[in-house]
Amino acid sequence: MSDGPRPEPPTWPSYDPGSSFDELVGPDGLPRPAAEPLWRHFQALGAEALVERQDAADREMRAVGVTFTVYDGTTGVDRPWPFDIIPRVISSHEWHHIETGLVQRLNALNLFIDDVYHDQRSVTSGVVPSDLVTGSPNFRRECVGVDPPGGIWAHICGSDLVRDADGTVYVLEDNLRVPSGMSYLLENRMVTKHVFPEMFRHYSIEPVDPYIGRLANLLASVSPSPGDPTIVVMTPGIHNSAYFEHAFLAQQLGVELVEGNDMVVLDDDCVYVQTIDGLQRVDVIYRRVDDLFLDPEAFRPDSALGVPGLMRAWRAGRVGLVNAPGAGVADDKGVYAYVPDIIRFFLGEEPVLDNVPTLRCIDPESRKHVLANLPRLVVKPANESGGYGITVGSQAGPDELAAVATAITENPRGWVAQPILALSTAPTLCDGDIAPRHVDLRPFTLIGPEGAYVTRGGLTRVARVEGSLIVNSSQGGGSKDTWVVDASLASPSTATAVSTATSNGAATREATASTPADGAEP
Amino acid sequence: MSIGNPLDADGAGGAGGAGGADGADHPGLTDDEDNHEPKEGTMLLARMAESVYWAGRYLERAESTARIVQVHTDTHVDLPVGEDVGWEPLLTIVGVHSEFSTRYSEAREGGDPEAAEADVIEFVLHHPDNPTSILASLAKARANLRTARPVVPSEAWEVCNNLWLTSVDQLAEAATRQGRVLWLRRVVAGCQRITGILLGAMSRDEAMSFLWIGQNLERADLTTRVLDVRSDNLHMQRGDDPYDVVHWMAVLRSLAAYQPFRRAMPARPQGGSTLRFLLQDDRFPRAVSACLSEVRSHLKELPRAEEAIEACADASLLVASAPVPRLALGGLTEFLDDVQIVLGELHRTIDHTYFHPSLARWLPESAAS
Repeated sequence: MSDGPRPEPPTWPSYDPGSSFDELVGPDGLPRPAAEPLWRHFQALGAEALVERQDAADREMRAVGVTFTVYDGTTGVDRPWPFDIIPRVISSHEWHHIETGLVQRLNALNLFIDDVYHDQRSVTSGVVPSDLVTGSPNFRRECVGVDPPGGIWAHICGSDLVRDADGTVYVLEDNLRVPSGMSYLLENRMVTKHVFPEMFRHYSIEPVDPYIGRLANLLASVSPSPGDPTIVVMTPGIHNSAYFEHAFLAQQLGVELVEGNDMVVLDDDCVYVQTIDGLQRVDVIYRRVDDLFLDPEAFRPDSALGVPGLMRAWRAGRVGLVNAPGAGVADDKGVYAYVPDIIRFFLGEEPVLDNVPTLRCIDPESRKHVLANLPRLVVKPANESGGYGITVGSQAGPDELAAVATAITENPRGWVAQPILALSTAPTLCDGDIAPRHVDLRPFTLIGPEGAYVTRGGLTRVARVEGSLIVNSSQGGGSKDTWVVDASLASPSTATAVSTATSNGAATREATASTPADGAEP
Repeated sequence: MSIGNPLDADGAGGAGGAGGADGADHPGLTDDEDNHEPKEGTMLLARMAESVYWAGRYLERAESTARIVQVHTDTHVDLPVGEDVGWEPLLTIVGVHSEFSTRYSEAREGGDPEAAEADVIEFVLHHPDNPTSILASLAKARANLRTARPVVPSEAWEVCNNLWLTSVDQLAEAATRQGRVLWLRRVVAGCQRITGILLGAMSRDEAMSFLWIGQNLERADLTTRVLDVRSDNLHMQRGDDPYDVVHWMAVLRSLAAYQPFRRAMPARPQGGSTLRFLLQDDRFPRAVSACLSEVRSHLKELPRAEEAIEACADASLLVASAPVPRLALGGLTEFLDDVQIVLGELHRTIDHTYFHPSLARWLPESAAS
């Protein structure tokens, strides 16, 4: 079949990827090899059928109750999860490069966190300035000297990746505190399977489901007790923006979803949960509550979300906390600028993935440069997440720029600046047509005492407004399913099988596992 | 302390993730051998138990209220003007008479019967001032199922979520009598579907027990309310009232009991036989004594249930000892008040045993373990 003449690759007449790097379509308007079967299939379906399938997807998201909460002042409003049915496609060849880089990075960050709470060699050797560590709002002196199992502090990392105009992938953020998005990634895939079942029969798309099993094993591996551990997911409650995810993960893991009020720490330093049959010991808490709210005895005394004595229990090694308290010291945007040095220092390797060049405003030289070039920079608070407080210089008015300048001058430690990346685009369904919209990617990495696992692909977030670079769902962004596909299987013959949907043709994964990927991605 | 570099082990960069689902996974986080015994003991959170209990209560309340409104509408058209009991009994059955009066005291001065019907229906179906409207009950059932998602089948939550969304979307159509029939029917069918899913897909564990306990307590409560209100409006002394049968049929239909009654009882529906059936029948699921038997059998599945089982037995005893023929002639309201009191006592016992126990109650036990 593959000896025959290669059919002309399809184009979408109105699709113009513009000057940004497009994830699915090359500058010539033709689909990238990994995306070709998908593009060909869409061509055959036509815009009208795509819109129908989008409607079906929206209905399913609504019916299943996939929501997130937007904070408008003090009240939270439940919104349906915004989802675009056109998947983003990444070749497995490129994915393995990214995966290697993510594991390297999280390994180094864990060594760094452990060092911060012990000898601080990274500080005394001059790799990281001491004020960045001990002056960080995410540094927890209560964690000094603690030895969590395997020396792992940040077990779960949600990284934000972006691609610049030349195709280079950068790590934009390492989210080590309570990163969310995994449930949406899984739900997006579920819905996509229902919307494009034919694609999954004929296209070699890597599964995302194994994550839950890996997460369960990871959680069990930090249990202080022998035997089957009792694991719980801890949520701030139904009003938290990620409550859907907390409930989803608890359900998928088959464990209880608890709130602080459900638990108590007794004089034996063990954590107990209140069941209908009295108190039961808890071994591992996958906590989705921020450090400062975990334990009113140790941190904010006004926290009603936490469990008094939880830090005491953790320090005594009587309960596993994932992620460990204090892990956030390494996801501060001030520390971010030093991650490449941290990788070199602790692992003796060159970073596999690039960092976005970052100017820290606390440094007088940098500050001067930032203040002089505000319209050409992205300015971010050093320790916020969720896209709050970000100013894109090129899209800000004079008043906003002036306000940012004042904020930087008043609290230089609190701000960093980065060049404005062009952010890649992906074809997105907009008003019945396909148009390019900017995207980023959040894969999840797990690291435990026994090994590492990276999701195949991640949660692609998309800025739904034309030209916008803000992809956070809390700021009106949408999402896409992300397919890691073996581009060597995306041959014209496979594509034909897809478009006719009659053959059950794609070669088995095993048969092609040793075939070198085509390396067509830049 | 050593983390090592797990990538050294199998060189994930080159192996290719297409080598099967496990691809380039690293040692340790792979799936265990599948040789596990089921988890031992119970791990139902007190808060989850409370959520499923209330989900059971509110689902039952939404379904039953919808049926009651439906039957009341049907009965209304069967009765000649003058024999008409009006729409207010509906308010009493669902226990919102005073809320309604506060809201509509001025608006109702005119006494236009059409307007009165519209007001009552709006209030019972969805008015925001009515905390136990059908829509509010659906919303609360949904909220409780949402909290309890980890312990109930996700399909049940999805159907409940959908039922709520649809009921909100199509409220406008419920304003006409014809549209109301469809709207109410959808609520009843939706609740029945959820119950069906739970029966077919939920493990018969403690969570399930709490759900059925909630549902049956609510059923028993509603049955007594329907009887109470109807008895007020019935001319029970006058066995010769031509509309007596119509009224008692309405009582039975409100509780989906008409057909089972006809099959079980030799008489046509009149005060004594209807009361006996709805209070003391052991086989009809909405009869008070059958509801209490259900509650008892589920309580027996729960730990530390002695006190609650005792409270349940008290309630059963009271119902079984009801002097039915005499009650039909008078004293029914007082008797039903007593039943409501023991049902309330049973609820409180369950609440402080399982949902809100004082911590001190458990400390000696756990400190010893």
